[in-house]
Amino acid sequence: MKSIFVCLLLCVSQISAAAEQAEQIFKQLAPSLYQIRLIDKASGEKSSIGSGFQISADGLIATNYHVVSGFANYPNKYRIEYLDNQGNKAPLRLMSVDVINDLAIVKRTQTHDMPYFNIATQTPIKGEQLYSLGNPHDLGMIVVPGTYNGLKIESFNDRIHFTGSINPGMSGGPVVNAQADVVGINVATSGNQMGFLVPHDKLVALYQAFQQHPPKNIKQQITHQLHENQAKLVSTLLKSQWQLKQLGPAMVPIIQAPFIRCWGESNADKPDAIALAVVANCALEEDTYIHSHFDTDTVEMEFKYLKSKKLSDLKFYHIYQQHISRAGPGNKASKEDVTEYQCHHDLVNAGADKITTKSIFCTRAYKKFPNLFDVLYIGASVDKDDQALVSHFTLSGVTEKSAMAFTRKFMESISWK
Amino acid sequence: MEIIIEEVTRGHKLLGRHKFLTNKVSIGRGYQNDIILADPHVCPEHVIIEYVNEQWQVLDQQSVNGTFLNETKQTADQHIIHSGDIIQLGKSKIRVIFPSHPVEQSISFTPFEGLIDFVKQPLVLALNISFFAFVTGVMFYLNQAADVNISQYLVRAVGATIMFALWPGLVALISVLTKNDARIVAQLAISFVLFNLMWLSDVLENIIEFNVSSNWSIGWITSILPVVLAFALFWFNSYVGFQVSEKRRLVLASSLTALLFGGSFLVQLSNKPEFNYRPNYDATVMVPAFRFAPSSSIEKFARDSSTLFAKTENTIHTDK
Repeated sequence: MKSIFVCLLLCVSQISAAAEQAEQIFKQLAPSLYQIRLIDKASGEKSSIGSGFQISADGLIATNYHVVSGFANYPNKYRIEYLDNQGNKAPLRLMSVDVINDLAIVKRTQTHDMPYFNIATQTPIKGEQLYSLGNPHDLGMIVVPGTYNGLKIESFNDRIHFTGSINPGMSGGPVVNAQADVVGINVATSGNQMGFLVPHDKLVALYQAFQQHPPKNIKQQITHQLHENQAKLVSTLLKSQWQLKQLGPAMVPIIQAPFIRCWGESNADKPDAIALAVVANCALEEDTYIHSHFDTDTVEMEFKYLKSKKLSDLKFYHIYQQHISRAGPGNKASKEDVTEYQCHHDLVNAGADKITTKSIFCTRAYKKFPNLFDVLYIGASVDKDDQALVSHFTLSGVTEKSAMAFTRKFMESISWK
Repeated sequence: MEIIIEEVTRGHKLLGRHKFLTNKVSIGRGYQNDIILADPHVCPEHVIIEYVNEQWQVLDQQSVNGTFLNETKQTADQHIIHSGDIIQLGKSKIRVIFPSHPVEQSISFTPFEGLIDFVKQPLVLALNISFFAFVTGVMFYLNQAADVNISQYLVRAVGATIMFALWPGLVALISVLTKNDARIVAQLAISFVLFNLMWLSDVLENIIEFNVSSNWSIGWITSILPVVLAFALFWFNSYVGFQVSEKRRLVLASSLTALLFGGSFLVQLSNKPEFNYRPNYDATVMVPAFRFAPSSSIEKFARDSSTLFAKTENTIHTDK
């Protein structure tokens, strides 16, 4: 009886302690929290806002890359400034970025050493209470409590799954544990109390790299990071198991990797369809944001099986041709970022009764990040009179070597049963 | 003395020809004249052409509107005639020719005459028109998502055939209006032969696009064929319908072809977006029976595709 009473008392005190803690954290850390603003020079007004937090005594502030991406890509169009908790505004300089993990380090000028956030040394425990700080919708600094749910399993680049209401505007803000140590940085929300954070070790790595070799040129730094990420991504894809699954009478490769998600559908339930269509597509669910009209590091694959239902072969192929005529890129890009596509086509036989296709390969080059390309492939079978298999993939932000290694393996994995 | 007097149109095309063995020819609107004109601007007694002092001379009979020489405002009264002179009276023109006037060399029949006679035959013409209608019906069938009533195909086919028949009809009309023979059957025959050849060239283009890899830039051959056929169509239209010199016919056919293709090329160019975000590739596939070319290996395809990377990078430098 006594033990139950003690337990109850402890529980109540925990709850109220949590509320108190939130208040304490807010008071203690407010001077090291900033609103980060991107000002459009021509109009003098802010074009985007986010949050940031001080990570060193000498004025280094951490935020998300996407908060300052406008400046990183068009430094003549924008300037960065901060708004602190006293209402003061001053300019910021961009020092280093990590586009893959959506982080950036900016620097303020200051006359004396300032307080800063400590970054944790250990990862939190699943279920641990965390506090997300930031400036949502330009409404002022708030604290949002939430729970640590471990790393998202389907991510290629680590992201923490956080159940708490992160809102736009809080991007770049810190997420701290009960000891006020930073364990993550706000990066995205998927609505309904589901948010994602960049784990603190990515910020530590960026900070240490900055201390040892500060980048001379942000564009070059981004190019290097894109090259590394695509090498890691493509080699992981190639080393994963390419499980051959049956699609109609064809065998197609489904890559078994946790960060590749697949969906399928067919029109078998529609009686008046003129051809049976069965589709399977697999995609990487994340990408790398470069600026508002340009993203990269996308992977998508689609397999479509078509079978004529009472159509003449001539008509079936006429309709089939329309199915393969309108393929497009898997990522957004503007004409300042990429060249136009150039394509090659040929009849290809995979060898000894496997499959004969009309294969089309297209590529376009990145204008600002050397030796990176977007590629697109379509393989349309041309060896059966009343059935067809279309195999298609797009990759973005890859080198020639990665693209061709993937293409070869993809083409070799497809066959009729 | 023999003399030949021709009534001609404003464009000097022959309306009527009269040969006289006399020394005096009277021309006017009155019925007592040797040549009776109907033009109300011509006087009943308008002009006399007389052989005097071994020369033919024009004598205006004090006509109300006068008699003029060779398109000038110069009066033809008292004028000594040279063979080929054109006299204008009222709104009519007459041409005076002497028997010694030189004539052009004879033109022998070309093989084209034989060809035109062949396609003109009712059976051949009927076959060509039916073939055209059939192909149009098939094209409509291929483009339909769902199956439609056969009467719809018939309507489309017949409709398209009638529409295309308007072109030879138009040419025949223009022939008649310029005082040539209409020759509508020949025009229809030759036009439909060429329309059918255009359909066949389309099929040939598809077969080539399907079989040949992009390593071979023979695309220009398949795009030249429709131009050649259009030129042939216009050339035959003018051969059958108009009496013009060989050179003029070539110029006419070339201009029409240039207009047709140049015009559509310009329209295409104007609709092209400034920057294309989507890839532009050849997606032609046909039933396996039409696959003649050998296939490449995956390795060859990969090697050929690799050359694209450097190509796209080069465009960055040329853009700058």
